[in-house]
Formats: sequence, C-alpha cells, structure tokens
Amino acid sequence: MPDLFIHIIVPIAIFLFIATFTLFAVYAERKIAGFLQDRLGPMETGKFGLIQTVADILKLLQKEFITPSAADKVLFAIAPVVIFTAVFIGYSVVPWAPDFIPANTNTGLFFLMAVVSIDAIGILMAGWGSNNKYSLLGAIRAIAQMVSYEIPVGLCLISAVMITQTLNLNDIAYLQGIDSPHPIYFFGFWDVTQIGGVFAWHIFQAPHLLIVYVIFFLATLAECNRAPFDIPEAESELIGGFHTEYGGIKFAFLFLAEYAMMFLVAILGVVIFLGAWNTPLPNIGALRLADWTTGLGWGLFWTFTKSLLIVGIQIWIRWTLPRFRADQLMTLCWKILIPVGFLCLAISGFWRIFIML
Amino acid sequence: MTIETIIFYAFAAMAIGAGLLLVNIRNTARALFLFFVVLFAMAGLYLFALADFIAITQILIYVGGVLILLIFAFMLSNKELLKDIQTSSTRFISLANWQSVVLSITFLSLMVYTFVNWSQQMPGWIEQSISKGTLIQAKDNNIELLGFKFMTQYVLPFEIISIFLMMALIGAAHLSRKDNTA
Repeated sequence: MPDLFIHIIVPIAIFLFIATFTLFAVYAERKIAGFLQDRLGPMETGKFGLIQTVADILKLLQKEFITPSAADKVLFAIAPVVIFTAVFIGYSVVPWAPDFIPANTNTGLFFLMAVVSIDAIGILMAGWGSNNKYSLLGAIRAIAQMVSYEIPVGLCLISAVMITQTLNLNDIAYLQGIDSPHPIYFFGFWDVTQIGGVFAWHIFQAPHLLIVYVIFFLATLAECNRAPFDIPEAESELIGGFHTEYGGIKFAFLFLAEYAMMFLVAILGVVIFLGAWNTPLPNIGALRLADWTTGLGWGLFWTFTKSLLIVGIQIWIRWTLPRFRADQLMTLCWKILIPVGFLCLAISGFWRIFIML
Repeated sequence: MTIETIIFYAFAAMAIGAGLLLVNIRNTARALFLFFVVLFAMAGLYLFALADFIAITQILIYVGGVLILLIFAFMLSNKELLKDIQTSSTRFISLANWQSVVLSITFLSLMVYTFVNWSQQMPGWIEQSISKGTLIQAKDNNIELLGFKFMTQYVLPFEIISIFLMMALIGAAHLSRKDNTA
C-alpha cells in the first residue's frame, strides 16, 4: 500500500512543480523581455508585478468553455489533455538528485524520446479538431518542424549514449561525478575520477560532445516551438497557430505543456551533458569541494540551478533573435544539424573504441 | 486481484474497444486518432510480456512516425475521394465478407487451440528454461541483452534489415526527385 501512495504522491508533486514553474517562468519571460527591450515589464500587480501571472491564471480559470460550432468536439476537447500528458509522462524518468528519480528504468532515455513524440499527435488533433484554417496550417507547420528536428535530437542522444553505454538516466547522472562506478577521463587523457566537478561532465569527457550539446540545444528549442523556431505560432501570419481557437482552462493546459516542455528539454540536456545533479566544484587537494557539495539537497540545488539557467538562455534567445523563415528552418535542420550530428555519431564510435577502452 | 492485473485488463479492454470502434466509425479523422489509442494500448500490453524495448519502439515508430504520415496523407488527399470512402463502404479492409469471416475464424481457432494446449502443458523449451533458471525477470536489463544478441548471434539478419531500410530510403529519395536530370 505505501507503494501505491508513492505512485499517487509523486505525480501530484511533479504537477505542482510544473504549475509553479510555469507561473514564475511566464513572469521571468516578461521581465527578461522588458529588460532586453529597455522597458519595465509587469509592474502594477503586486510588488514588481510579482503576482501578475497569478492574476492571469485566475482570469483564465474562470473563463467560459467555448467550442467553435463547426469543430470536431471530441478531438477539440481531448487534444490539450493529450499534449499535456505526453510532456508530463516525460518527467517520470528524469533524475533530480542521487537516486531521487520517479522511475528508475533501464530504458529511461528511450522511453522519454518515445513519449514526447506523442506530443505531435496532440498538436495535430488540436489543429484538425478546431476546424480553422489557421489552426490546421499551424499544426501542419508544427508537425513538419517537430518531425524534422527529432532527427538531430535523436542523433545527439545516440552520440551521448555511445559514450555512456546505458540508457538509464540515473546511471548516466552517476557517470559524471565523484560517485562514478567507472574511471572518468577529462578529454580522454586526464584521470579526474577523484577530482570530479566540472571536469567530469560529459561535455568535457569527450570534446565533440560540446558540439553535440549545442546541436541538442538548438534542436530542442525547435521541438518546443520557441523563437527563433516559432513559425507554427507565428502570430503575424497565423494568429495563434494550432491553439487559435482555445481559451480558458484548455488554453491553460496548452500553455502548461509548452513551459513543461521547455523545462523538460532543459533538464534532459543537463542530465545527459552538463553533469546532472553533480557539482561543478572540483576537489582541489585538501579542499574537498566536490565531496562537500554532493548529496540529496545539493543534488536538487544543482539540478535546479543548471536547468533554470538553461531555461533563462532559452528566454534570452527568444527575445533576441528574429523568427526563421520556413525554408531557412528546414535548411538548418537537414543541411547543417543532421550532417554534423552524423559526424559526431561517428566520432563517438571511434572515441569509445580507441580512447575509452 | 493485484494492481498489475487491473492495469492489464484495462489496457486489453482499451485495445479491443478502440479497435472495434475504429473499424465501425464513419469519421475517418477520428478513426485515425482511435488507431493511436489502439497502438498505445498494444504498447502497454507488450510491457506485460516484458518486451519493454518493443513497447517503446512501437510508440516511437508507429505513433511518432507512421501514424503522423497516415494523418498527413489523409489531410492532403482529395476531398471527393474521402467522401466516397466514407459513404459507400462500411468495411475497413476491402475483402469480401466470406473471406474476412474465414480469416478471422482461422485466427481465432489458432489462438484458442494454442491457449488450450499451453494451459494443459507448457512446451518443452519453456519448462527447460524454468528448470535451468534462465528466465527473464522484470528487473533484468533487457535492452543490454538485446544489444548483445543483435551484435553477436543475430548480426546477419540485423545487417540485412539495415541494408533493406537503406534501400527503401534511397528509393524514396529517388521517387520524390524532380525529373529534370533524366
């Protein structure tokens, strides 16, 4: 019975986290946008506009359910649930701290990739179910983009997994710090198993993983449909893309899914490439910084700090760069990211065979 | 009745129910989305057979790839053609009635025969592996076992499949090319 209790508590905790994160991420997004555009952002509601997003959510929740009369009512209603659930299930295999992981499975990373791809079906449902040409066009653009960019993401993950030799995200996290079961070499020559810190992260275990991480970051940015890859919801041409017809709590779910996806890809990149919950501080002689800053509480702290930093970069990019044109988007994916991804895949193979063994 | 049993029957009911609805529904768009439910429930059932790799692959390839292609094909196809399908025929596969009856009865009797036979006496190879203790457990690292098998015992079929997929890819690229060089 306590097992069952945990099975219920953990998803609720994750959901509450996503909801809180979304509230503050929207606030951060507006404040950063304000800063980058040399204005103040929300200031009126609460001190520094802190409860502006709470007010927005309250307004969204009280809104009436409106279903367009020509819409496919079943698909229209189910779509936000499918989209949110797909992203939500993805959180079930992500480690937050040493052995602090909802589901410690051997197929973790593979499972996450598969589950997140269900998102695309939800978007198509929303676009088709709305029976609106802007929604359908937005959905088709979103799918074309997501299906294309899943390939570089997959290639990046395979290159990393060839180095780690495991799909279990908990084990992948362990392989990047002082608790690693295998010896770790910084760039393949300097044994840093006892030193740990930033040198033991995957991006420094093999130099090409740095490039892989950059590809991963760009491709996942496109997977979340965020600027500069946001033609699926280009508001100047398509009003709101696939969620044009949505309002009230259904729109709130689509919004939650979008921000949950942002955090999911950020934490996934952190777990696989940036040392997961491992500390960036190395052991220097008698100064055992890495030993002192490893543990449950510290693990949570590092995971959150790193992931929120990545989310911050995502927001920063959104308000700095203009939107790509559709053909530029596809050119970037198929002619640059995928060939470089394949090259890194080959380097991973050679690195594993000739340097790590 | 354990939780696992309940979940198993829930997935089974979902697969059968959605499948039945899928072949009877007139609305093609909804039928395609019901197909997603069927595939998802089937993936859940694979998990109970300890085939976690197959289950995830099913979702990744069929839901993330094939189903999206199907929906795209549906959306881009001729409206008149679709109307024709939706009105004239209630059959999903265009076999004549008696042929499909024969097919389904054969398949059902095969399954009943196997079930009756196996519930009386397990086949020799299963009893052998039970006695030797080489059964796969839920906690085993199946994906690693699978990797070793693919790269050692089954390396030839694995390579043949990859060459076959490569041929399909090159063929698709060739077909979709504009005919200005030839």
